[in-house]
Amino acid sequence: MSLVLIGVNHKTAPIALRERIAISRDDLPETTRSLAAVPGVAECMIVSTCNRVELLVVVNPADAPASNAELTVFLHRHFGLDPALLAPHLYTHQDREAVRHLFRVAASLDSMVIGEPQILGQVKEAFAVARASGTVGGQLEHLLQSAFASAKKVRTETEIGSNSVSIASVAVDLAQKIFGSLQGRTVFLVGAGKMSELAARHLVQQGAGAILVTNRTLDRARRMAEAFQGKTIPFEQLYETASQADIVISSTGAPHPIFRTEHGQAFLHRRRNRPMFFIDIAVPRDVDPAMGKLEGIFVYDIDDLQQVAASHLSERSRSAIDAEALIAAEVERFHQRQLAVNVAPAIVALQNQAEEIRQAELKRLQARMASLTADQIAAVDALTRGLVNKLLHPPMQALKQAARENDAVRLDALCETWSLPATANPENGKVEIPQVNENTQAGRP
Amino acid sequence: MDLLWLRVAAILYAAASIAVFPAVLYNRIRWRKSCIHLAGLAFFFHFVSCVEMLVQAHRWMPVGVREVESLLGFAVAAVFLLLWWLYDAIALGIFILPITFFAVFVPALAPERYTFPSAGVRISWLVAHIAALLAAYVALGFSLLASVLYLLQERRIKSKFASAPGEDSWWLPFDWLPPLDTLERIAHATLEFGFPCMTVGLVIGSVLAQEVGGAAYFFDPKVILSFLLWAVYVALLFVRRSAGLRGRRAAYLSGAVFLVMLVVLVANAFSHVHRYGPQ
Repeated sequence: MSLVLIGVNHKTAPIALRERIAISRDDLPETTRSLAAVPGVAECMIVSTCNRVELLVVVNPADAPASNAELTVFLHRHFGLDPALLAPHLYTHQDREAVRHLFRVAASLDSMVIGEPQILGQVKEAFAVARASGTVGGQLEHLLQSAFASAKKVRTETEIGSNSVSIASVAVDLAQKIFGSLQGRTVFLVGAGKMSELAARHLVQQGAGAILVTNRTLDRARRMAEAFQGKTIPFEQLYETASQADIVISSTGAPHPIFRTEHGQAFLHRRRNRPMFFIDIAVPRDVDPAMGKLEGIFVYDIDDLQQVAASHLSERSRSAIDAEALIAAEVERFHQRQLAVNVAPAIVALQNQAEEIRQAELKRLQARMASLTADQIAAVDALTRGLVNKLLHPPMQALKQAARENDAVRLDALCETWSLPATANPENGKVEIPQVNENTQAGRP
Repeated sequence: MDLLWLRVAAILYAAASIAVFPAVLYNRIRWRKSCIHLAGLAFFFHFVSCVEMLVQAHRWMPVGVREVESLLGFAVAAVFLLLWWLYDAIALGIFILPITFFAVFVPALAPERYTFPSAGVRISWLVAHIAALLAAYVALGFSLLASVLYLLQERRIKSKFASAPGEDSWWLPFDWLPPLDTLERIAHATLEFGFPCMTVGLVIGSVLAQEVGGAAYFFDPKVILSFLLWAVYVALLFVRRSAGLRGRRAAYLSGAVFLVMLVVLVANAFSHVHRYGPQ
């Protein structure tokens, strides 16, 4: 089976396009199921965050080129976009490159803010949604578990996350550039998402005063307000309350901007021109960019935050290099494991053959061993087992080695020599990845 | 006796002029009441003084700059109190009361012109005059600097720390700039500090100037421009406070005040009462 990853992210597409193809949390299961219905798709999941929309799909290698085209059509049709509009921003990765990309995404190396911790949770959430939608099989299960393990390793073994310049901390820096001390400043969270919570936490750590929270679902707002000992505001009082806030963090799922220029003018009038800082981490955006042109109102959307965060990257380049090396090693390890899994049926067959011969020989000698005690019979059994394992070790190692080196010719020769089932995929010369449980891997006693 | 009542009125006008600032800029009710009471009392004593002055002179026509100035001040105060009574427009007092005080101040010093008892006293007042105005100019300069830096920092933040295609980006590396709020506070605090300095400097300067030209000192171009500068300064403070003016427009206004200040300095060349000594 072949792995295909197709999508857009903050590096390839502007926010104006990304907000048009963003998939809300509520729509994600349905969209994932629609993707699974695309011809040639065996397994699939969709990662949709404010910075990226990526389709990760397992297809039959023979169908891969056609599937790529089908996936592109799916994107155009599903989001009602002109192909010419989307095509320049799309990227496609296959097999090893797709694995590498996914590992980098999960490890936050492809994030807007490298090292930010939210992306791993978002990928996990997307995976959980796909699993619940029944579009995940053994391939994606294995791939995603490996991606999560690699991401964890990157976080614990490099400094990438220790000095994390997250969106939240960038937002705090900007707020300090506007307001100086955040002591006593009022923060208004519009939408009770995780990013808002994180940003609010950073602001509170820097001394921000009152926290006001509103959300269409009041219960969620209440829970978050309780966490910050803040105040819950009914969503209907959004505009009356916003003018009280110095910093507004907006992350609703609204399809259109909820804060527009006329609102900004009203806020400034009520605040006697005291400045306001809008942090818009929603995609589609909650704050009309035109509002940022008003004097005294500062609007930063997710792309603007990226721009600022980019200036911090050089400080963390060493950590990023370490993390990239680690990811490369992890991708290689995953690949080796996959190849080892490929020869698993051959190795199992070899072990079975040898075991059958051993059992047959023991059965043949059963009459002559009748006088032996139970201990002596056990000793003979152990002896024959040991001999078989020792004799099988060289061919099993040879099979694994050939698989690691992706040497289809040698694999075929070994299989033919030992009368084992073929493992190489004749279509692409690559080793086929059969659906086997990892516990049946070669070399296990 | 008219001089005594005029001096009492001048002191009360000065007190009302001080009270009007917290009353208007900070909307303090107690100061509001005090201001109106003081202005009303000042007006009463001013009225007594004017009547006595004209009765003693056996005429109803003012003669000389001193009498005209005093009556002009009286008329201005009368109109102010009338407007306050009709429209509760105490905010006008921020300009009118100090103008009234300045109109009454010099006539109240002496019947003709006040002369200092000794050169030493005069020099002391001259030093105080120079120190107060230098402090005001420095404060104004700092306010302008903070305002310019504000514009720069605002531009950086608004631009998202990146230049648009084809746009200059010389202002981008100014990462050391203080936060906007700090710059705004500095600009405002220095303005507020400079204002009393400028007022005191002008009052002392008026006393010094009247030695040369008597009550007609007012007609000197340097003096007129100095009062204009003071009025623009008051306007700047008033607009900043009442309209919540801050940021870009406040910065431009600070720049305008600074420009007037430069004009006032240049006006020395045309002044009869104000000259720098040769060096």
